[in-house]
Amino acid sequence: MTRRLVVGVDIGNSTTEACVAAVSGDSVEYLGTALTHTTGVKGTPDNTDGAVSAVRRALDRAGRTESEVETVLLNEATPVISGLAMETISETIITESTMIGHNPATPGGEGLGVGTTVAIDALSGASGPTIAVVGPGWDFDDVATELNAATERGLEVVAAVLAHDDAVLVVNRLRTPIPVVDEVGAVEKVPLGMRAAVEVAPPGRTIRTLSDSYGLASVFELDPDQTKHVSPVARALTGNRSAVVVRTPSGDVTDRRIPVGTLTLRGAGKTLQVDVDAGAEAIMEVLGRVQPLDDATGEAGTHVGGMLAQVRDTMTDVTGQPAAEIRIRDVLAVDTFVPKEVRGGLAGEVAPENAVALAAMVRTSRSRMQVVADEVAAALGCRAEIGGVEGEMAVRGALTTPGTAVPIAVLDLGGGSTDAALLDRDGVCSAVHVAGAGELVTKLIGSELALDDREQAEAVKRHPLAKVESFFHVRHEDGTVQFFPEPLPSHVFARVVTMTPEGPAPVATRHSVDHVRRVRREAKRKVFAVNAVRALKQVAPGGSLRMLDFVVLLGGSALDFEIPDLIADALAGYGVVCGIGNVHGSEGPRNAVASGLVDAHVAGA
Amino acid sequence: MTEKPAIVLRHTGYADPAVLREVCAGAEEEGVPTRVEQVREAGAVALAHAAALESPLETGIGIDGSGGVAVHHASLPPDGPVQRVEAGSPRPDLRIAGRTAARIVKVLPLS
Repeated sequence: MTRRLVVGVDIGNSTTEACVAAVSGDSVEYLGTALTHTTGVKGTPDNTDGAVSAVRRALDRAGRTESEVETVLLNEATPVISGLAMETISETIITESTMIGHNPATPGGEGLGVGTTVAIDALSGASGPTIAVVGPGWDFDDVATELNAATERGLEVVAAVLAHDDAVLVVNRLRTPIPVVDEVGAVEKVPLGMRAAVEVAPPGRTIRTLSDSYGLASVFELDPDQTKHVSPVARALTGNRSAVVVRTPSGDVTDRRIPVGTLTLRGAGKTLQVDVDAGAEAIMEVLGRVQPLDDATGEAGTHVGGMLAQVRDTMTDVTGQPAAEIRIRDVLAVDTFVPKEVRGGLAGEVAPENAVALAAMVRTSRSRMQVVADEVAAALGCRAEIGGVEGEMAVRGALTTPGTAVPIAVLDLGGGSTDAALLDRDGVCSAVHVAGAGELVTKLIGSELALDDREQAEAVKRHPLAKVESFFHVRHEDGTVQFFPEPLPSHVFARVVTMTPEGPAPVATRHSVDHVRRVRREAKRKVFAVNAVRALKQVAPGGSLRMLDFVVLLGGSALDFEIPDLIADALAGYGVVCGIGNVHGSEGPRNAVASGLVDAHVAGA
Repeated sequence: MTEKPAIVLRHTGYADPAVLREVCAGAEEEGVPTRVEQVREAGAVALAHAAALESPLETGIGIDGSGGVAVHHASLPPDGPVQRVEAGSPRPDLRIAGRTAARIVKVLPLS
């Protein structure tokens, strides 16, 4: 019998996979696989380039040539476009430079000093308890000399605020040590001639007086009304090792909710509105009441409105469908926080602000995969056809995982969407796509850790963490210690790093390994564990996860070192067998659709 | 050994005294003591490495005759210092050299 060469190609949101097989009769021998980036939006003619190069690479690996290929099989893919938006819903504002609440690495002295703010070159005219304010350009020796001289004249210098990182140097040269806060970048904005307090806690401690409402009331002799007014200041300073509070006539710290507009969700014959600043839980609750979702719109002129409009526009460009016909079919809202520089801060203070991240997804029925098939056929000089629908093919591929049986559900953990498909005992297949996947995880990690570099956020998502503890060893996040025979570069010394295949890469953060790890795992849980349950409920018989027996994880994120565990944890209560797909017992979670296409072709031939 | 823990700083005595002052200030602001030794002329890196071998904290700083600075750790290869600051660099950079040495001792990120 002749052996025919068949190539299955799976065009996904972010990757295109190809799988070469030699077929004779009903026996299939898999020869090689390859993976490339998807070109263009899935389901559009732009996919041709990626598909052709994936086929060529797979042939290369299999040691075969294009002329031997009989048929290329493509999946019928629903174009799914996802969009992301982040809305900050709270904001901290300091007016009239009321406080400085930052954590310089090395403040000087300890204790609390309460007095009137005076510029250092005006100390000679001052009287009473005084807080010296020192601008940039002052040398530490001169500052110490000036303060010592003032004290000698009988002036009661109780504290100091410095522009440079000089606090320890100055305090070491004073005859009477005082608390000193340094690295105050905008020191020139500190109001002079005002009553103020400076507090520095001993190493390993946080301030006690200025972070307490009654502490502030005692220091500034406030009445109950005024005390109510300053309580946000106390809250903002909690957890700091040092702080400065200046009492200005109308100074204030406000913790403001920003109105961010509403989201309108339409489905199940209802139209409901929800305020985005109500948070993720409220949004998802309303979404649950309008399932299945027909469309979602955001209030014009707000971020949400802008984001949803943009997703719609992209889909219009891609499919040629008018914007009015494009519907947003799913939304995922996630509560998060974004460290934001405090408005009006003098030392680059950062406050964690609440935010809501939204992922939205559109799909159309109008796939243009036939165009891709025709173009692939022309490029490779062979037959190319649409071999089957994505979800069905994925299930078919997943079923080749040892230990699985029908009914089987697959969860495809992608970049833009999380997809679920179910094959029941009667051979009926159903599939859903829900918004939110790997891209959203990267975005959450990046914003919560304030990483300005997307690559770094991606590295935090993909690789375990470690702390570099010397030039020759790191401590991994699980506590194991690894020695390196060659010295580690100094730019990673003492840093939190991601253990990439190329070696430790620094994460630009002052947070501990534990904190970064928590942010990473929470981001994955909030997206994938939540979506796994959401998607499976939509395909499970009667919406009950207990009716599922086998759940197979597929897609790039199924290769992640902890996402499968997080999903297994989330599903543990439902008595489901959940594990990572191992297509054909050897391919792992990749290539399920591509090899499913080949298998379907052989079975149908 | 009764030697007090300190970063050892070796210099040749020829460089501008301001260089020595700023480098020492960098370590002092971080709260780590330094011990200053005047030795015969050599390159900053060699001085720093010899100083590191001498230091109970295994951390050394070298300042050569022209005011170039190097920071070294005893466990590192002699020609691979942690940091070098060129002669004639502005004061804040010199301050950072001292800070780097102190941060090696405290196991804090260097920048």
